[in-house]
Amino acid sequence: MEARPALSIQRSGTQQLNNCGASGALSTSFPVLPSALEEKYPNLPDSQQVPVERQFRPCTSTVVSPISSSSGVVGHMFSSSSGLSTDLHFSSVSQQEKHSRQSLFISQSTSCGTSMLFQQASHSGVLHSTASSQYTKENNDTSWCTDSLDFLDYPINQNNPLDSCNTGEILPSEDLNKRNWEWADQLISDDDALTSSWNELIAETNVTDPGLKVEVPQQSTTFSIQQPQASQQLPASSGETCPVVPPTPSGSGAPTKQRMRWTPELHEAFVEAVNKLGGSERATPKGVLKLMKVEGLTIYHVKSHLQKYRTARYKPEPSEGSSEKKHALIDDLSSLDLKSGIEITEALRLQMEVQKRLHEQLEIQRNLQLRIEEQGRYLQMMFEKQCKSGLDLLKGSSSNLENPLTDLTEPVLKSPDKSNLGVSEGNDHKMDEVGEKQKSPENEVPENLEATATDTPNSPPPKRAKLDE
Amino acid sequence: MKFGKRLKQQIQESLPGWRDKFLSYKDLKQLLNLISSAPPVLSGSVEYVRAESEFVVLLNKEIDKLNSFFMEKEEDFIIRHKELQQRIQRMIAKSGSEASGIDYKAEMRKIRKDIVDFHGEMVLLINYSNVNYTGLAKILKKYDKRTGGLLRLPFIQKVLQQPFFTTDLISKLIKECEITIDSLFPAPAEKKARGEIEAITVAGEGIFRNTVAALLTMQEIRRGSSTYSHFSLPPLNLPDTDVIKSVQLSSPIPIP
Repeated sequence: MEARPALSIQRSGTQQLNNCGASGALSTSFPVLPSALEEKYPNLPDSQQVPVERQFRPCTSTVVSPISSSSGVVGHMFSSSSGLSTDLHFSSVSQQEKHSRQSLFISQSTSCGTSMLFQQASHSGVLHSTASSQYTKENNDTSWCTDSLDFLDYPINQNNPLDSCNTGEILPSEDLNKRNWEWADQLISDDDALTSSWNELIAETNVTDPGLKVEVPQQSTTFSIQQPQASQQLPASSGETCPVVPPTPSGSGAPTKQRMRWTPELHEAFVEAVNKLGGSERATPKGVLKLMKVEGLTIYHVKSHLQKYRTARYKPEPSEGSSEKKHALIDDLSSLDLKSGIEITEALRLQMEVQKRLHEQLEIQRNLQLRIEEQGRYLQMMFEKQCKSGLDLLKGSSSNLENPLTDLTEPVLKSPDKSNLGVSEGNDHKMDEVGEKQKSPENEVPENLEATATDTPNSPPPKRAKLDE
Repeated sequence: MKFGKRLKQQIQESLPGWRDKFLSYKDLKQLLNLISSAPPVLSGSVEYVRAESEFVVLLNKEIDKLNSFFMEKEEDFIIRHKELQQRIQRMIAKSGSEASGIDYKAEMRKIRKDIVDFHGEMVLLINYSNVNYTGLAKILKKYDKRTGGLLRLPFIQKVLQQPFFTTDLISKLIKECEITIDSLFPAPAEKKARGEIEAITVAGEGIFRNTVAALLTMQEIRRGSSTYSHFSLPPLNLPDTDVIKSVQLSSPIPIP
């Protein structure tokens, strides 16, 4: 399966929602619900939660309870909508997607249905599970969409909208639910990577801070950050012009401003296409897009890239082109030619030195930061493990916990030092000095380690062994 | 606020177009102050919850901002890289046929300057990425400390995967650049020449100046703080700090 980057997720989410909405809104007002839930954010002026939850994809389990507390017909709607939300992927991050969907739905939805839904959807609005888009990331978006179109292909409600809003909604909802489950199952079984990311997502929600609000953003960040994983993988992919871009949502009126991550390979393909079309001046975005045949690339991406390309090409050229000006300049220089030439070169060389130095240091710093985080994660894991086993220990003897704590802090104190030295093996003398300087501050017990639970003395040695590479 | 000041300094020293693209550390810090001053969530305070969510919303917004800017610059660099390569190839082809005339020399100088500047800008982009990451790490650490939350660890894991932090492509381009530069420049001058060079001063907002500033700032930031922990970076010790510092940052003689 192609690894599509993060951005693709958002787009595909929108795409499906658009399609679903498009067909759904015609038949019943129920399918409008997911979009209504999204749209309600800007519409409801009262609830304070609205602006806050807009970007969040909270843990569905925590939000389901408020939903079920709503009354009557609405209650039924919610149970189905909660089912919908747990399974389906109608979520999106960015506002522009919502806007584009809004424009689509508002124009198509019946007034009574939407107003009712808006009113009562206030609590359930936040229900969209993030994993949805992850699924679509890996799957062929078009196939998903056609599935959704099929199932939402209900006979159009011919009743008077005002009367039948409720009834019209209830009937298909159960069906929808079942269908949703089917899709979800199908999508889940499709790709291992998906399930692992889904599990990770669930794990995130379980792990995180109690309290809905804090949990919520982490999911959104999980979501938004899951995406770049794929984009990170892309540059590593050898030579293929993989699309680093999300598929365009169909039917969306506004031009999508999805940020695309270009790679040298993609750029090569771009340049080839441009050259085939007769150069950067002659080539048109449409033509280039067609020639490149890269899935998910939109004309907007090509357009902006072409613009950048043109600017880059034609800015240096005027200075090369006008030989007259050049000769005049050079005549002035020629007398000082030798000396100034050398000076300039030397100055450039110095500049290079400093730049190289900065780059070096940045690389080192980055590696250190990565190591630190890795270690932090490891400690966290140990802490959690210990918490679980610590509870048993506590039931036994509480005194034994004291000693392992002191034993733990010392070896752990040493390990960051070693890890730093290990990382910087390439830079001998520099890091030795650094290592020495580090030891003195490290004699203070780091605040994070105090929080770390005790463990048996056996654990530090393996940890050190792991870090000593 | 020590980091905040350093960050501000760095921003001031950075290239003009970049200045408003850095992390809004101050805003985040202010929000954090709001959170810790508001009554805790257990008493059901709406303000606390709101401030907290605002904080996270802002964090996400900032990340988007950083990503956008980074990816845009990355795209620019990819294009420029290709263009420079082509120019150099043309140069090499020309140098075979034409004698090293004046045109050639001027062109050569221009290319050298361009490529060194290009290298510099890329390094500055990596510095940008790093500084922002550091800022995020710090603000998250403060958040956890002040609110007792557990936002930091998972959030940082996400940040590590963001486009603006995955700078591998740029590093690769930089290395390629260095190789090209080595081939373009004549053999390095002897050691004594360096003594003279130390006196060279650099112009206002140029790339060189920013690079020097970045290095110095980095050193300052890592000097060691009161909250030094095993999560902190070790102090940065550059052997030729003297040389670098001697490159005065407000200069009369620009490098053409």
